[in-house]
Order: sequence, then structure tokens, then C-alpha cells
Amino acid sequence: MHRILERMQTDLLDALGLAITVYDKRHDTHPAVLAAQGVGAELVDAQLAGIGGPVPDALAHQVPVLSLDLWTDDRWPELTLAAVRDRAPQDESSWEQVHGAAAVPGVWADDATVVVCCALSQPANAATVASLINYEQLVSAALITTAAENATAIADIITVLQSRGAIEQAKGALMGLVCCDADHAWKMLRTASQEFNVKLRELAVALIEHISGAPAEQPATGAPITPDDRTREAARLMWAALSVEPLRQ
Amino acid sequence: MTNSQFRLSAAEAEQPPVVTVSGDIDLANVNEFQEVLNGAAANSDAITVDLSDVSYCDSAAVRALFSVAATTKLALIVPAAGPISTLLSISGLDRVATVATRD
Repeated sequence: MHRILERMQTDLLDALGLAITVYDKRHDTHPAVLAAQGVGAELVDAQLAGIGGPVPDALAHQVPVLSLDLWTDDRWPELTLAAVRDRAPQDESSWEQVHGAAAVPGVWADDATVVVCCALSQPANAATVASLINYEQLVSAALITTAAENATAIADIITVLQSRGAIEQAKGALMGLVCCDADHAWKMLRTASQEFNVKLRELAVALIEHISGAPAEQPATGAPITPDDRTREAARLMWAALSVEPLRQ
Repeated sequence: MTNSQFRLSAAEAEQPPVVTVSGDIDLANVNEFQEVLNGAAANSDAITVDLSDVSYCDSAAVRALFSVAATTKLALIVPAAGPISTLLSISGLDRVATVATRD
């Protein structure tokens, strides 16, 4: 991870802080900084402590987040130079130089997300986000490999990349059906997978196939995810229950 | 997903090329979306993307738009209210692209 951060630093010359934050929802703990450079760790900790900022927003909405000037951005009124300086006065000279920031989220396992972020001495631009998008893919691949640790690593990477697409699609369908945000859709999927005791990625595939009446789109690599009858039934029940709800109100 | 979902109109006089999108943009067709964007940006230093008829778009589309905005001046046309303009303001894409609304 630190080697990836070093490469990022050479790519993003204006970076005052870089951080990789992971959030493993299986353990229902809080998001945590996995690796950081410069003032990255302090900045992410401040945002996660309730002040708000690009990192919590990227986690909640699962979209890349860009800010031209972090301290004056109207999306996070509590994220100010004074607030961060109070939390970490030892880095005062760096805080005064921070302007732009960006955060890019990704999913690397059924219940685990990652956010790659940077704080810059210049306003962030679209190229900053494009660069972080590349590094997020590198980080996610590294996380998967580390998690697998052995001969199953390749198979796991393929499975995760496959389920990533299916889970995104299923989340999108749920967001449309019940008009909720990405985080809420994610929680519904997770709760249903626990209640029916079926794998989340298989439930996602079953859900898409149930809605569309056709096989879910999956990458050509590896064995496609094929949900069993129990998972399909779970998807059918979940969709039916959610579809009926608004009529009763 | 057919090609007609992404329509590219060539540059005219002083106007940059326009990519007009309809329907859903998600993981199933985002690569195609990206290719059309890149194609439009390849011959022009500015492009306009009309999203007013998009019914759904998510993180994948936002990523594609950020990456094309990294190489060209991007203008977006979006519905005045609704999930797409929310997505733009959450992501901050509205701060690096010009955004015009259409009712």
C-alpha cells in the first residue's frame, strides 16, 4: 500500500496528504485509514469524526467527490481550517496550504469498500479525479490479493470484479424502486442476504435476473455467478415485498 | 443497449460537438458511453453532453464524465431537478464542468 502511495505522490505533485480508507461493513465497525502520507490520516480522521467531507460522502454515495477548496466548500460547512487546526495543531503549516481535495470510492469485496483520497495545495481538477480512479483500481486489486493470500487469489479477484458489476446494478434497481440513496440500497441488499442466509453477490445477480427476466450481464472471464433456487426465491420475495410496500401506505 | 442511446452531433460553426444521451447509463453500457465521449473529445477542445433525457445514471457515469473532463472542456445539460443534478453536486462535477439546466 505504501508503494502505491509513493507512486501517487509522484503523480500528484501538489499533494499534501494522501490516504487509503477502508470500510468493512461485515464487522459493522467504523471506516479506518489503512495507509496514509503527509497529513492524509489526520484529514480523514477529522472528516470521519463527524465534521464531514469528501471521504464520508464518497463512502455514503459511492461516487467520486471533488472539491476546489476544502475549507470553503459549502457542502461541508463544519470542515474549516480552524476546525482541523484545532484537532491537529502540529500540522498547522500544512493545513494552511491545503486547497483542493478529491476522494474516489470502490468496492473490493462483498461488504468492503475503499476510498482513495488526496488533499492538494492547488484546486483539484478533473485530472486529479481521473488519476485517483486509476489508483483506486490498483488499490482494490492489491486489497483483494492481500485478503486472499494464496492460490485462490486469482479466482477471488475475478469473482469480486464480477459481483461488483452485479451489485452495482442491483443497487441501482433498488434505488429506483424505493427512491433511496446508494447506501440505503446497499443496506437493504445486505439485510436481505443475512435474513435469507444467501450470498450477497448471488442475491444481486438473482435480483437483476428476476427484474429483467434475462441473464445478468457478467464479464467474460471466469465462471459466471449462477444463483441457486433458494437465492432466486429470496430475490423474488425481496422484490415483491418492496414493490407492494408503497401501495399500502 | 443500442448505439442510438448515445448520439454524437458533429461540431457546427462555433459550437462544440454534442453527445446526446437517453435512457440508463450503468455498468452495462458505461464503456460505450466512455468511447463516445472520448471520440467526441478527440477532435475538439470542448464538448457538450446532453443528459436531459437520462432516466438513471450512477457512479460509473460520473467516473466517465470526470475522465473526459480531464482532457477537454466539458459542458453538461441536465434536468433542472432530480437525481442527476443531485449526483453532480454531491460529486463536485458541477465545479469542473459548466452545467446548464433544462426543464
